[in-house]
Amino acid sequence: MLNIGSEKLPLCSGPTRRSFLTAGTAGMAALSLPVLNRLQATGKVNEDKAKISNCIVIFLVGSPGQNDTWDMKPDAPENVRGKFKPTQTNVTGIRICEHFPLMAKMMDKVSLIRSLHHKTGATHENGQRWMMTGHDFNADAMKPHMGSVVSRVFGSRGDLPANVILPGPIGNTGAGPLHGQSAAYLGSAHEPFFLNADPARADFKVGDLEVPVGESASRLDARKRLLEQVDDLQRRTETGTTTALDASYQRAFRLLTSPEAKRAFNLSDEPSPIRDRYGRNTFGQSCLMARRLIESGVRMVTVNHFDTVFNLSCWDMHADGGGLNNTYHDYERMLCPQFDWAYSALIQDLEDRGMLQETVVAVLSEFGRTPQLNARGGRDHYPAAWTNFLCGGNIRGGQVIGATDKIGARPADSPVEPPQILASIYHAMGINLDTAMMPGPGDRPVRMVEAEPIRQLFS
Amino acid sequence: MEQKFDGTPKAELRLQGRKVTRTAVMNDWGLMLRWLVKKDSKEIASVPARAVDSYEHPDSNPGTYTIVLQSWKYVNYKKDPKGEFVESKFVDISNTVTYTI
Repeated sequence: MLNIGSEKLPLCSGPTRRSFLTAGTAGMAALSLPVLNRLQATGKVNEDKAKISNCIVIFLVGSPGQNDTWDMKPDAPENVRGKFKPTQTNVTGIRICEHFPLMAKMMDKVSLIRSLHHKTGATHENGQRWMMTGHDFNADAMKPHMGSVVSRVFGSRGDLPANVILPGPIGNTGAGPLHGQSAAYLGSAHEPFFLNADPARADFKVGDLEVPVGESASRLDARKRLLEQVDDLQRRTETGTTTALDASYQRAFRLLTSPEAKRAFNLSDEPSPIRDRYGRNTFGQSCLMARRLIESGVRMVTVNHFDTVFNLSCWDMHADGGGLNNTYHDYERMLCPQFDWAYSALIQDLEDRGMLQETVVAVLSEFGRTPQLNARGGRDHYPAAWTNFLCGGNIRGGQVIGATDKIGARPADSPVEPPQILASIYHAMGINLDTAMMPGPGDRPVRMVEAEPIRQLFS
Repeated sequence: MEQKFDGTPKAELRLQGRKVTRTAVMNDWGLMLRWLVKKDSKEIASVPARAVDSYEHPDSNPGTYTIVLQSWKYVNYKKDPKGEFVESKFVDISNTVTYTI
């Protein structure tokens, strides 16, 4: 019998490598890491390294309404302006929703982009693809996640992967599996590493490579021995492809047991007041882990605020009375406070540690929401106008780029499309879009994204 | 992944005259905080408490006032036909302070 954490696997019945690796939380991490490592061995890394900054993307799955958050219309009719009121920020003339009081105190660091829009379908997946990759695409022409691009350009530092997504991948958001969180044609060497665990849980441990009670050998040795047992078994029944994976699995163990990686993923090292300051919830603790990972050498961390829009409190405020029944109550009591608390903690923490100047923090979403409330008091999908924002790195804070019309229905000034956001993030990270090309058809080099950075962000 | 909220938040309130001051919240869920004000046992106000750590209720009419700090507690998504949460609710996370005018 193999004991993996609290799991017991019968060796005599022939455990598969997968069953070994998918046992409990340990399995989730261990499954991801070997795949990542194996494919990094075959990937290409562009050595043309510029001055490198890091990036944390907070992705608001479901998408908040622009009129209820960062582009309020207090003078519009009631069915447009909604229920919330604007509050003054620490930048004269910039007002945001009253339920972001802490963000309001640091608006001098933030650049709001109020004229985002795209012209394709109003599904979550369309928006995710745009904002994660800078492209819309179908299954035949998938485009890489921006973290995968960063991974290919800069490579990884130390034992840690270049591109991490917390706490897990986006799952069902209604219209298919293409969320833009894969490496696509860049190859699995640059696939994101998904944590696939909830850092807010009291028993959270990445890898969960605990020696079972009664095990006398060291933890690392015990785990290696167990892996070797499984490998031996597998070799008797599988082809040489199994053997080819060995180096990857060994490297995964090195990664998960290296002091560097253990330190980065070990949230219990954080003082309790810091953990409280981010919020003892999945999103808050993911933001804290993002800071730790960047501090330890990860290039890009994406925090998905929710992995679905169904049957949970999230930004997708349809108020439909069913599985999409988010309302102003969710925004006021949970979503806005949770975001405000964690985001302001992250920005302050990065600044206190001298990391904000070298870390771009982007808050992105799929689209906006209808300017007019629907019959049930909610708002539906609306890609014609929304607000996202950036700060950190060489982003100039305290400004608003673009504007919408009187009801938040259309960009009225300086319209911005998703590829410009990606181009801006790459630029802010020190990537020269004219020289750091991606492989295209027939190995022809192509630009990462067909857009130029938004110059006003940096001036 | 449904969000996990482990532990129980806790803060201490201190009263000076009519001004109540709170400590930082230990085991903070990071959700909405509010001051709940009652007069003669009847709820008369709820005021956001996240951005500031003190509050003085403006009402100076005679009576006995109590103030407690509350946090939103997300249990689950269930809502009634009007869109109000069924099981998720505000819960007290501090001692209650009392003063009389």
